[in-house]
Amino acid sequence: MAPNVLRYLLVMLAILLPLQANAVLKIEITGGSATALPIAIVPFGSEGYAAPENVSDIISNDLASSGRFAPVEKRDLISQPHESQQVNFADWRLLRSEGLLIGKVSSQDGENYQVQFQLFDVYKAEQLVGKRYNVPASGLRNLAHQIADIVYETLTGEKGVFATRLAFVTEMKNADGSKRFALQVSDADGANPRTVLQSTQPIMSPNWAPDGEQLTYVTFENSKAEVYVQQLSSGRRNSVASFKGLNSAPAWSPDGKKLALTLSKNGNPEIYVLELATGNLSRVTHNSGAIDTEAVWMPNGREILFTSDRGGRPQIYRVDAEGGRAERVTFEGGYNASADISPDGRTMAMVHAVNGRFHIAIQDLQTGAVQVLTDTTADESPSFAPNGRMILYATEQKGRGILAAVSVDGRIKQRLGESGSAVREPAWSPFRR
Amino acid sequence: MKKAFVENFLAGSYSLLLHLALVVLLIVGLESTSTPQLASDPSVEIVQATVLDEVMVEQEMARLEEIEQKERDEEKQRQQQVEDKLKQTQEELARKEREALDLAERAEMEKQRLQKEAEAEKLRIAELEKQRAQEEQKKLEAEKQRQLEEQRKQKAEQERIAAEQKRKAEEEAKAKAEAERREQEAAKAKAEAERKAEEARKRQAEEEAKRAEEAKRKAEEERKKAEEAKRKAEEERKRAEEEAKRKAAEDAKRKAEEARRKAAEQMIQDQLAAEAAESNRRRVAGVLNIYAQQIQSRVKQYWSKPANAKAGMLVTLEVKLIPGGDVRSVKVIKSSGDPVFDRSAENAVYKAAPMPMPSDPDATQQILSEGIQFEFKPE
Repeated sequence: MAPNVLRYLLVMLAILLPLQANAVLKIEITGGSATALPIAIVPFGSEGYAAPENVSDIISNDLASSGRFAPVEKRDLISQPHESQQVNFADWRLLRSEGLLIGKVSSQDGENYQVQFQLFDVYKAEQLVGKRYNVPASGLRNLAHQIADIVYETLTGEKGVFATRLAFVTEMKNADGSKRFALQVSDADGANPRTVLQSTQPIMSPNWAPDGEQLTYVTFENSKAEVYVQQLSSGRRNSVASFKGLNSAPAWSPDGKKLALTLSKNGNPEIYVLELATGNLSRVTHNSGAIDTEAVWMPNGREILFTSDRGGRPQIYRVDAEGGRAERVTFEGGYNASADISPDGRTMAMVHAVNGRFHIAIQDLQTGAVQVLTDTTADESPSFAPNGRMILYATEQKGRGILAAVSVDGRIKQRLGESGSAVREPAWSPFRR
Repeated sequence: MKKAFVENFLAGSYSLLLHLALVVLLIVGLESTSTPQLASDPSVEIVQATVLDEVMVEQEMARLEEIEQKERDEEKQRQQQVEDKLKQTQEELARKEREALDLAERAEMEKQRLQKEAEAEKLRIAELEKQRAQEEQKKLEAEKQRQLEEQRKQKAEQERIAAEQKRKAEEEAKAKAEAERREQEAAKAKAEAERKAEEARKRQAEEEAKRAEEAKRKAEEERKKAEEAKRKAEEERKRAEEEAKRKAAEDAKRKAEEARRKAAEQMIQDQLAAEAAESNRRRVAGVLNIYAQQIQSRVKQYWSKPANAKAGMLVTLEVKLIPGGDVRSVKVIKSSGDPVFDRSAENAVYKAAPMPMPSDPDATQQILSEGIQFEFKPE
């Protein structure tokens, strides 16, 4: 009997083996490329009065500028639907776009506009998001940025920063050779700049309050460096630090209650913390032989990063906000300064000099790995976007300061704004609350 | 019989009572008639005696005598009438009380008239009394006679009743005797009938018993026959069974041999088939291996990995294709938990369509029937 069973099993095995081969084919896809998502943005339809802003163009530019999206060229758009029932999804699949945005702008009086949009997943033929708004003409641009934020967040899972703002200092030369300085605030794309302060004397180091409603900056308008805090909505401002000597590089704490700043009232530039409500001042660094400046708060609000040349060359150090021993953070290269920290506290951006050329670089605070992001040569003042994806900075083009931004992976580099003046020391606002 | 006797007796009693009642009534009537004679008052006669003269007395005496004669005749006649009447009354025993009362009434009227006449009479009272006494005596005797007659009649009636009763008793006795005789005869007939019935029963029982015996005997015979048949059938069955067993065993043996032969053939065939299948499998596997690389690079090329994809993320998709290589369905069978990451993988598959198909038809068939499972990982 046993040999029979054995024989039978062998036969069965032989028969079953090909079935095993019929198992589902498994394919593993790893790596991939963080390529821009193709998205079809159909120019929004218009009804009634023409809008003073091209809403769909603003959205398209926002998304493209982020480097995360590759809007389909307008000439490649197969059709121009403005309503969902006009959409033939098969057309859009041929374009291999991952999203389809359609919308409409209408106005009965040229003053108030109704804007509606819908974002579709073309492969599943379903709406991902759709909204409708009523705004005055003046609100159209900001609304376009908000829609771009919604599209961005829907398709990437991260918050968009298109409706945030930038603060920066411009410098213009008058005909007589004298200079005119202005503190300006623009949209995140550099457009729509508004001047919040003008002076014939230099303005420096603007920095946003966490609520996005106030700015602190350094002004020489009284012929010496002073630190001011200004309310954006009212323009009301007041001096918070005008000690003897240097008052510079203010940085708002994450809770909005304190400023870290550089004072030389005791002879040597040191980092201090100023409590805004009380005016109480506490000294953080004690190093009489070196300059300690450009303080920035870690997101946890307990530590401060700053630039110091205590080691002979400027490097980034970290110190407890209560004071204490500072530890050096940067070791790569002979020049690392002007630190900013990503919202998650993991990535530090800085000005990093290589062979006498100043680039924006990032350093992973856990691994210490440094990655140079820019190939421009006179970069300064890096500032993280509130979603941590982009870094705003100033650089020079043809000897003139301009605004630029680079994605944290270095793939996206863009110039912001087309102002006729030299631009310096930009700062990216927090999210709107 | 007894009832008849009682009825007769009662009838007799009633007639006797009726007779007694009539007698009583008659006596009462007679007493009332005689009362005025006994109650004559002497004081009245004294007043009229003062005016008497001889002539007048003579005349008067003559007139009185005439009257008296007349009266005597009348009385006699009357007496006769009374007697007649009494006699009549006696004869009409069945007449009712009212007639007796009529008689009494007439007697009363008579009494009144007599009283008036008695008032006119003054001097002849004694005579009258004497006569009357005599008449009374006669009357009493007559009455006595009548009573005797009555008694005789009653006696005769009683005798008659007694005779009647005797006759009735005799008749009853006779009837009773007759009835008894009949009863005895009936009893006798009944006994005879019973005897006959008993005999019939006995005869029937005997027949029954006989029949039962016969039936039993027959049943026994049947049983024996059945047993015999059963035994035979059993033998037959056993024989058939044995035959069947033998045949089955032969069949089984033959079949087993057949099966062994076939199994041997089958095994050779199976081995050949298995070798062919294995060879085919190797071929298909080889084709699919190359195909997988093609698909992998194509899908990877179309995958826009989200910038925020983190190490450790993994989404598994089940993809079904149609013959042209277009995507029929994409199903997330294990999500990464991040909808954006999942969608990027799904879209990569859609964008990679139409997929190339293997050149080998077996491999193509397998891809079409089983689909492809994709695993997307950021790194």
